[in-house]
Amino acid sequence: MNLMANILLNVIIAFLVGSLLFGYQRKIMARIQTRPGPPIIQHLLHTLKFYIKESTFPKTAAMPFYVAIASMLCAIWVSAVIVGPVIEGSLLLIFAIYALHKIVEHNAGSSSGSPYGKLSCVRAVFSAAAEVPLFAVLVIIYLKTGTMVIGEIINYQTINGPLIYAIPLAAAMFFVLILSKAPYSPFAITKGKDIISGYETEHFGVLRGYLMISESIAWYMLLWVFLTVFIGGLSPIGYLIGMVAISTVVAFINATTPILNPNHSIMMQVTFAFIGIVGSIILILI
Amino acid sequence: MKTLYMVSYLMFIISLASIAYALIFNPPSWMVYGISIVFIPLAILSFGLISMAKIKKEEEDERRDEPFIGY
Repeated sequence: MNLMANILLNVIIAFLVGSLLFGYQRKIMARIQTRPGPPIIQHLLHTLKFYIKESTFPKTAAMPFYVAIASMLCAIWVSAVIVGPVIEGSLLLIFAIYALHKIVEHNAGSSSGSPYGKLSCVRAVFSAAAEVPLFAVLVIIYLKTGTMVIGEIINYQTINGPLIYAIPLAAAMFFVLILSKAPYSPFAITKGKDIISGYETEHFGVLRGYLMISESIAWYMLLWVFLTVFIGGLSPIGYLIGMVAISTVVAFINATTPILNPNHSIMMQVTFAFIGIVGSIILILI
Repeated sequence: MKTLYMVSYLMFIISLASIAYALIFNPPSWMVYGISIVFIPLAILSFGLISMAKIKKEEEDERRDEPFIGY
């Protein structure tokens, strides 16, 4: 297939599947809380709705940075689609993309001029201190497989079986990272309702829709990386089942756990990271 | 606002043209990656700026001063 067509197809799939999984998550959460909940396509409809809403740019916004940062979020997750499903490249690039995501959260908050955005901007830096160590799971994968390239990790698992059995603590660490990126997550301190919508508070209308597209792609990509790296290369149906299963577990956790205080959130994630890294190294040595 | 719409249309046309170029002429991989990373996000953004509802002239200042109305 033509490379550009392949990239376009993967980006569209990532957006549609990511949006539907977010909608599915809200549905599950609602059912747990004995509410009927919105239809599964609600997140997708919201995204499209924002595209025809009236939009202005607040006078407090730092233009053109305020718009450019939303574009950057989209650009980095399109890059993740290229590095992931398209070329099965290096996990280090995925790590770089995730680190850039934290920078975007920080800068989106600071560029709007909103006090809520600024609080979220501080929390983004704060949470990066915990989430980046969680991404150190890559080191464990390298120690186990001797490679960082996704394609080679898939081959390793074809011969030796899924990595989730060999390094379960590393998989748990990555799951905590995925959980922290889910809406209504106990670790989602950058978008806590105590600060309205966090760094997205003043990105309304078309820019909100734009951010939602990027977040859908990001959710799909995080699940894709988890399934590929810890279970192996799956068929499209296998990926879909895996993504639905992880989204269901995440929805259960989010529905039953309140958002944590920022300090507690960070300490809990750091504890997970510490136990994960030390435990995995011990398991590898044994 | 008029400038914004003109710039958006221009960005949208350039983005679509670049994507079409990569689709039809199959340039080297590095060029396709560059086009994807720059022009796919730009096409999505410019389409949004074109498709968003227009603000009434008399309400423009009010919207700018009270951005929360935009929800």
